Amino acid sequence: MFPKLDPLLHSELRLAVMSILAGVDSAEFSYIKKQTGATSGNLSVQLDKLSAAGYIIVEKGFKGKVPCTTCKITPVGLAAFENYVNSLKKYLI
Amino acid sequence: MENNIENKEMTAQQSLNLISEMMNNSRKSILSKNGKHFILWGALLTIVSFVIYELWHTTGNANWNLLWLAMPIIGFPMVKVISKKDAEIPQNIISRQISGLWLAYCAFVMVIFVASVFFLKPMQMNLSLIIVLLLGFTECISGIMLKNWTIIISGFILGVGGAFAATLIQSAEQLLMFTIGGIIITATGLIVKSQYK
Repeated sequence: MFPKLDPLLHSELRLAVMSILAGVDSAEFSYIKKQTGATSGNLSVQLDKLSAAGYIIVEKGFKGKVPCTTCKITPVGLAAFENYVNSLKKYLI
Repeated sequence: MENNIENKEMTAQQSLNLISEMMNNSRKSILSKNGKHFILWGALLTIVSFVIYELWHTTGNANWNLLWLAMPIIGFPMVKVISKKDAEIPQNIISRQISGLWLAYCAFVMVIFVASVFFLKPMQMNLSLIIVLLLGFTECISGIMLKNWTIIISGFILGVGGAFAATLIQSAEQLLMFTIGGIIITATGLIVKSQYK
């Protein structure tokens, strides 16, 4: 019996975002956008979904006078990501 | 990766490939930024040490060593300029630890340098030996963190070779070790940059 994959993570853009955030302390919106190649609107929507699930923290602030959105993975998000990867491996064995 | 990630669902293999690709790309951009710092400090060390060597060698006055203080005065503002340019690139555990390691090196060297200049008699402490040994050690540990044998070996050669040279060579000529050290650190930066391009 295959384990059920977390539907929130089983989406290309959300998984890409979580993969980036799992390896860094925190990342700016512009960095994630550049790495994923996603549009600002789409990325914002997906970040909101991850944030609502408690997988990431989104902080809106300023860098000098420029608005700056920073994202950080939470322990809940990291655990969900690890579970997701472990489940994926079972599909491939 | 295609620069156009949508919200579509994937197979297990595609998901794993995406995770691995995203993590690798992110790691590369982060460590490439570290490479720039190696190049900056390496080039600065090469130039400053060679200038001091020339001045000391020509005039015979060891007080030119005070010009070492130019390194942090020039270096840290330049780090700020580089960091501003790469401001959006985040830190990961490796880049943070390497930065911390080199900051610790700077702190050790500054304290030893200032203490030896103001509180010890000249030549009471073989300053060059201590600094070059620490330099090689820090370089070596950086190589271990980056899993790069070229950097590990060059750090080892710099530290051990430099320590022997510092014992055998006297006065101004000792500074040429730091010029070589600077060249090695610059090369480290170029290796890191090309490895994580």
